[in-house]
Amino acid sequence: MARVGVFVCFCGANIADFVDVPKVIEETKKIREVKYAIEYKYMCSDPGQQMIRDAIVQQKLTSVVVAACSPRMHEKTFRKALSDAGMNPYLLEVANIREHSSWVHQKDKKAATDKAADLIRMAVAKSIANEQLHEISVPVTKRALVIGGGIAGIQAALDIADARIPVTLIEKSPSIGGRMAQLDETFPTLDCSQCILTPKMVDVASHPYIELIPYSEVIELTGYVGNYKAKIRKKASYVNFSNCTGCGACWLKCPVKVPNEYNMNIDKRKAIYTPFPQAVPNKPVIDAEHCTMLLKGKCGICAKVCEKGAIDFKMQDEVIEREIGAVVIATGYDLWDPKPYEEYGVGRFKDIITSLEFERMVSANGPSGGLPLRPSDGKVPKNVVFIKCIGSRDESKGIEYCSKICCMYTAKHVVLLHHKVHDSHAYVFYMDIRAAGKGYEEFVKKAQVDTAATYLRGRVSKIYKKGDKLMVRGEDAQIGQVVEVEADLVVLATAITAPKDNPALARLLGVSYDKYGFMSEAHPKLRPVETAKAGIFLAGCTQAPKDIPDTVAQASACAAKVCGLFAGDTMKKDPMISKVNTEFCSGCLNCIQVCPYQAIVEEEIPMGHGSKEMRTVSKINEGVCQGCGSCVAICRSMAISLAGFTDPQIINEIVAI
Amino acid sequence: MITLGLEEKNTFLEAINKKSGANVLNCYQCGKCASTCPVSDYMDFRPREIMQMIKLGMKEETYMSNSMWFCLTCAACSGRCPREIDIPAVMEAIRHLVIEENYRSTSKKVKDIRKFHEIFLEMIKRYGRNYELRMMAEFNIRTRNFFKDMNLAPKALLKGKIPLGHESTKSAKAIRKMFELAGKLEKRK
Repeated sequence: MARVGVFVCFCGANIADFVDVPKVIEETKKIREVKYAIEYKYMCSDPGQQMIRDAIVQQKLTSVVVAACSPRMHEKTFRKALSDAGMNPYLLEVANIREHSSWVHQKDKKAATDKAADLIRMAVAKSIANEQLHEISVPVTKRALVIGGGIAGIQAALDIADARIPVTLIEKSPSIGGRMAQLDETFPTLDCSQCILTPKMVDVASHPYIELIPYSEVIELTGYVGNYKAKIRKKASYVNFSNCTGCGACWLKCPVKVPNEYNMNIDKRKAIYTPFPQAVPNKPVIDAEHCTMLLKGKCGICAKVCEKGAIDFKMQDEVIEREIGAVVIATGYDLWDPKPYEEYGVGRFKDIITSLEFERMVSANGPSGGLPLRPSDGKVPKNVVFIKCIGSRDESKGIEYCSKICCMYTAKHVVLLHHKVHDSHAYVFYMDIRAAGKGYEEFVKKAQVDTAATYLRGRVSKIYKKGDKLMVRGEDAQIGQVVEVEADLVVLATAITAPKDNPALARLLGVSYDKYGFMSEAHPKLRPVETAKAGIFLAGCTQAPKDIPDTVAQASACAAKVCGLFAGDTMKKDPMISKVNTEFCSGCLNCIQVCPYQAIVEEEIPMGHGSKEMRTVSKINEGVCQGCGSCVAICRSMAISLAGFTDPQIINEIVAI
Repeated sequence: MITLGLEEKNTFLEAINKKSGANVLNCYQCGKCASTCPVSDYMDFRPREIMQMIKLGMKEETYMSNSMWFCLTCAACSGRCPREIDIPAVMEAIRHLVIEENYRSTSKKVKDIRKFHEIFLEMIKRYGRNYELRMMAEFNIRTRNFFKDMNLAPKALLKGKIPLGHESTKSAKAIRKMFELAGKLEKRK
């Protein structure tokens, strides 16, 4: 005979204000199997948990029902209370009388009370059919894969490797460094981006626990947390890195000129190139899309000048495999193309540039040696207009979110402009100044006061040409008048967008992404670095726009998560997973189609005991299954059951109402 | 509409900053001054707007406004300014520059206020301290508003609020000297 204990929580006033708890207790006590029912103000508190522990022992309970908040909140807490009292933790049922009753029926207390009683009755009925379950252990492969070699990937790789866990860091471009390598100075301290980044890049290259694979991408990920298998395509670089000394003779002689992505296409690079002088690894690759030797079979000058014979035009893409236990996604960001701003004349007026183009211009290793120049005539600009929120916070252009860093980098650009061109004047059209960060507000104030930049509150309505100047028209809401600025150069602070490859990568890895293409975290507040897929973590702008300090912090958090995952030789996992009863399985394999985790595989078993004839059934991989129940629903022969949600449990619940 | 970027420099802003000793660039347009100011409702531009106009170099509009003349120099604004800008000093600087550069408002109110200031200074210069009765008479005559506040006069006189003669002060001489010195300093500029 089942002996169920019911513990009803007031949740302060959250439940008690709308649900008549004593009445619920009274109703609950009428259930035959309920041997003990009690209420308490905060069941999750230590005294509340002690009540449960004491009752289990004294009342010899066989299962426990806690009527409180959502099981997402405190199921783990109460399970632990059960196991502390020597009871199997999976004999617990949580009746959610807060989110499902008191919060949603605040206008009708009687209905809320009745529903709470119903929910408890269902939970009691289900708990009677609960079985003892045990955590599952899965082995772990202690190697992490970091996708993306920007500051996020670099930091995550270094932190994981410092814990003596091997890391494979892959980067799709020829060098690590990412966006940060393109920056001149960084807010709010104005320290040189290269100077703080390149030492870390060198550390990555020389770290004994880091395997750096540049010019490569993931093409397949199989397996499950702790036991993934990744296929990585190493793109053909046509340069044998072990022979190459990085002397540079090849790119000096190469006759093919290609727009230079590193400098935002302001100048040209060669078809054989290293992205920038401080590249790691400092070895060139041949751009197969532009090399005339690879396209037409003519030229080959680089091979002739290479003293080491490192050029190999016959090189092919190579696919390598790595067994890994965890993945860190750090694919960074792209910039939004401002073309839809037709009213600004983007594309028509040469002297409208983007912020990253401005950044490259003022950069010491940039195409103009550190001076901003007008693209139209190469002159140094005097009046520069910066326009913020280009794309960001503009639903009509497709982006609702704030890109977070534009306020700060624009303030930085105002300062850099002032440093580089002393007699210049900056005009900034802004909507708000969002300077939330350590030292940020102070930096913006300093920029405004020291450079005497004119901040105008409003969006620019249009830009038109007047002689060789650009007239920028907008409203200054502060004085309530329309203003026009005669500008030599206009800089657009374009929005951060997710890398365009993110959705494809997300599908490949089996993680979810939002409508903008940013990777989705498991919980926006409490699990910001994990994805919903166990063992895959997020660092940097791949998840949402963020600045360097936040990116580095998130990358280190990823490293902590990876180290935590690899702390033991095996991992514990909830036992609420599906199981196939092969006797009933007809082998239709519909379950394989619906499983979102690729947790189900085919298996050949003997037709009968001792039979030599084989038949196909499905088999569930314990490590991969997340217990979603899709297979249970699709199974025609009712051969699959989900532990913790078996048919008797569900039927009991239904019968109870 | 205002067109910016035509001038090499914002000389107006520089002049105001120099004269007032404040830095208008510190203003971040929160509007606490405007909502603190007891007379901002009577101004045609509230203090916050004046700050922004200075930042944008809108000299004419600032000089022709009545804001600085309505300003009581009570300093409630600067007492509450989160960026610690001495707003009354800025208002004072504008008044000085308006007089120096000989701007004249067409507004009767502004004209009257300017006359009030002039008469007050004359009283101080002549008597060493204010001579209320004469000040009131002079103001009413010069503003062609002869009977302004006359109904209050008997009561105020009876209560001794307005002495009939001017009160003497020992330092009248010193004050006259101060005026002379100030005049000389002004000329030296």
